[in-house]
Amino acid sequence: MFKSIFCGLSIFCLGAVARAQGPGYVFSEEDKIYQKVADVNIAYDGEVRSLSGLYSQGPVVIALIYTRCSGVCNPFLLQVKENMLVADSDERSRVLVVSFDPRDGSGEMRRLAIRYGLDNDGGWIFATTPQISELINSVGFNPVWDSVRAQFDHEALLVGINDEGFITRKLTGLRDFNAFTSLLRSIRNEFILSYPLPNENMVFSCFSYNPETGKNQPGTGLLLLLLPALLSLVVVFVLSRRHDRKPRF
Amino acid sequence: MATLQLKKLTSVWIITILVLFVLAIVFGILMRFNQGNAIHLSPVGFYSMMTIHGLTMIGIWFVAGMAAVNFLLQRYIKVSAGINVFALVLTVIGVVMLWLVTFVGEFHTGWTFLYPLPFRGAWKEWATPLFLLALGVLGIGWFVWSAGMLFQIFRKYRPAQAFAWQHLRKGSPEIETPPFILISTVTLIGIITCLVAAVLLLVLYFAEYFSSGSFVNDALLMKNLTFFFGHTLANEMLYLGLASLYELFPEVSGRPKFKMTWYVALAWNCTMVFILTAFFHHMYMDFVQPFAFQVIGQMASYFASVPAAAVTAFSVLAVVIKNPIRWSLTNTLFFVGVTGWLIGGVGAVIDATISNNFVLHNTLWVPAHFHTYNAIGNVLFSLAFFNWAANEFGGKGHTDKFTRLKMTLLIIGGSGFVIMFYIGGAYSVPRRFNVYPQEFSSLSILASAGALFACLYLAVIVWFLVNTVNKCLKVFSAA
Amino acid sequence: MDDKHTFTLVLFFLLTVGIVAVFLYAYLSSLPSSSAKGGLTNPKKKRFLLFFILMEAVIILFTLTLPRSPYFFFANSTPSKVVFVAARQFSFAMSYQTIAPDTQAPAKAIELPRGKPVEFRVTSFDVNHGFAIYDMSGNLIAQTQAMPGYINRLRWVFDSPGEYNILCLEYCGMAHAFMRTSFNVK
Repeated sequence: MFKSIFCGLSIFCLGAVARAQGPGYVFSEEDKIYQKVADVNIAYDGEVRSLSGLYSQGPVVIALIYTRCSGVCNPFLLQVKENMLVADSDERSRVLVVSFDPRDGSGEMRRLAIRYGLDNDGGWIFATTPQISELINSVGFNPVWDSVRAQFDHEALLVGINDEGFITRKLTGLRDFNAFTSLLRSIRNEFILSYPLPNENMVFSCFSYNPETGKNQPGTGLLLLLLPALLSLVVVFVLSRRHDRKPRF
Repeated sequence: MATLQLKKLTSVWIITILVLFVLAIVFGILMRFNQGNAIHLSPVGFYSMMTIHGLTMIGIWFVAGMAAVNFLLQRYIKVSAGINVFALVLTVIGVVMLWLVTFVGEFHTGWTFLYPLPFRGAWKEWATPLFLLALGVLGIGWFVWSAGMLFQIFRKYRPAQAFAWQHLRKGSPEIETPPFILISTVTLIGIITCLVAAVLLLVLYFAEYFSSGSFVNDALLMKNLTFFFGHTLANEMLYLGLASLYELFPEVSGRPKFKMTWYVALAWNCTMVFILTAFFHHMYMDFVQPFAFQVIGQMASYFASVPAAAVTAFSVLAVVIKNPIRWSLTNTLFFVGVTGWLIGGVGAVIDATISNNFVLHNTLWVPAHFHTYNAIGNVLFSLAFFNWAANEFGGKGHTDKFTRLKMTLLIIGGSGFVIMFYIGGAYSVPRRFNVYPQEFSSLSILASAGALFACLYLAVIVWFLVNTVNKCLKVFSAA
Repeated sequence: MDDKHTFTLVLFFLLTVGIVAVFLYAYLSSLPSSSAKGGLTNPKKKRFLLFFILMEAVIILFTLTLPRSPYFFFANSTPSKVVFVAARQFSFAMSYQTIAPDTQAPAKAIELPRGKPVEFRVTSFDVNHGFAIYDMSGNLIAQTQAMPGYINRLRWVFDSPGEYNILCLEYCGMAHAFMRTSFNVK
């Protein structure tokens, strides 16, 4: 009886550990890392330029959207805009918003820029490209046309490109500010030695990575590391309260 | 001074420790022969042995230091015999549980039981909870023991006096703190701290074990806690040994007692603080550990060990050089022990340097250095105390006509044994391999050679055991 | 058995010989217990000198070695190749693509360029493992830990072509010694 309880419990625990390590982390984000982005032609402001001409002037964040999207594209762009305001206050990086829908023309992209109030912002480029399949293949992005809904079935994707055109970091889905800043740091060629995989069941995480400072911030777990020293101070204090004025020996 | 009761208790400690020591050495020798392909153990057999070897060695030399400090503290303060008995009983229960877990339950995580390995191994299901429980039993016994002694120290000395802070100021202080009290205080506080870390670790393990998967631990945090406990305990046990050296070495050599000076006070206060972060050097190769911690780890590793080692070595040398010394087995053991400790310390400092650790971490260099400062360092301090105590109990003088022979064999056996580790470690042979792959086959002969040297060491230990146990048993017949 | 490893060993043995020499001298210089008092003259001053030299040595050692820590290796270059490493009891999976926990390890052999920085992204799907790279003559040249829940990134430049072995250096269970893989540098 006792044995079977232990056995059941431990099997359950093991299963939980295995499950806990699975979800949360999007493994496709690691795909195409450090590969060069396709040097496609992009059209904006009435001109056609090469992508390499753009990134050679400084790192670029590519956001892939399409204007007729009724799903994730709008909240996604809004979030990128807000994050850029805070995280890129020194305006060292540019955001290239590219449509992956062949139906989008320069007019649609212009209207999109105006809608977000970014039409006169030098840090933002709203562009189309005739070589869209080359671009999305090179960054590992796979939108699928759903003819029933007349929408693309796709996830939100941000791609960080450094000034040599290498993909340094990708973010899939709507992500938090920390993840966003880690992308910005990576396109500026800062080496982040290690990062944790998110885990929902983990209460006492040792360090949470803060991309703003580039350091791991103390998490709740770290407080546990301080606890032994603090507790033993308390022990010393308590024990020493019983000091006899006169030596007893 | 020492009551008959305390003598009896200490005798029981000494006999238990020496018997367990011999058994644990035998396991060690078997493991080295297995690595040298001279014998063939099953992997589970090998790793169960490795686990119990580590646990036993850490455990017995820790309690050896504790028993010695407890005995010698009686010279300054009154220490509770009840707590000593309590610690003895819990230690024996804990050890029996651990032996059950490893040999019947086939539990083989190594003594570091890095999370989540205890949940992920091929052993009996009851082994993991029983193992954690055994650690809990030992932890409680040892916590009560150290808190009890600390309590008694603080009854006589204010904390500032126990830390010898009055010696850091100019002029000679009114109340002098004996070095033994300072080292004992510093060490006992360190022990309490790392036992608290152990409690936290166990709580987290049990929380995960009983949470049915809704609570998962962070592997990095668990690793930090494991070494907070494990590394610090292994370090503090060395300092327990040193406490008895400070107390006994000048005395048995026929020299005046060590005086407290500001260097000694400063060095040991340094040790007390730095020792608490030195364990970070176990995480050098975990790149996720914040860089600041890695730097602190390297700093603390240097500053926890170097000042205390330098002060101790100099004090011992100043006693000996060109002075009339009454050499006996006791002070020769202390003297050789300091040498071994320093040599092991050099190996440790080399490994605690991050750029070296990159190619030394988890190679045989690690067992090389810790076997040096244990097998021919700390163990000798405790053996010296055992020998001294046994002579006190046995009532015969402190002379031993075989001192030179015993020491020579011990030194040859011990250093031959560790040299094989060092060579293997420098040439990248991994530690904790039950057999070596093809590329190290030329170096695996070193393992067998090391085992042969260890046999020599074992022979001296058995000889020592017979002598010491005979003397210790006289305490019981005297009553 | 290259120079760095031999150097470490020789340095260690030289220091050991020094320590042993000092203690042997002390032992031999001690007098029979019946003789008159001799002793070290002015030990406090000598002690201070020794202490001073030691602390200086420690600080110099610290400042010299810290910049050579592996955390800074090739931090400013873009790796020409990324290898994803997932360790499990008792095997390594290596791939140019990410490895998800529920997939089988791809069987494709890994080939890395010579003289260019490569990056290993190392994680574990169960317990702690080690990821240690051994060169053709059996020397450990670089390592990091494979820890569940974290990805550690190790960058390295391989100067000579050949087959490099990966061994697990963190004890992970009964087949720990047999947990290995290899890759080629061309």
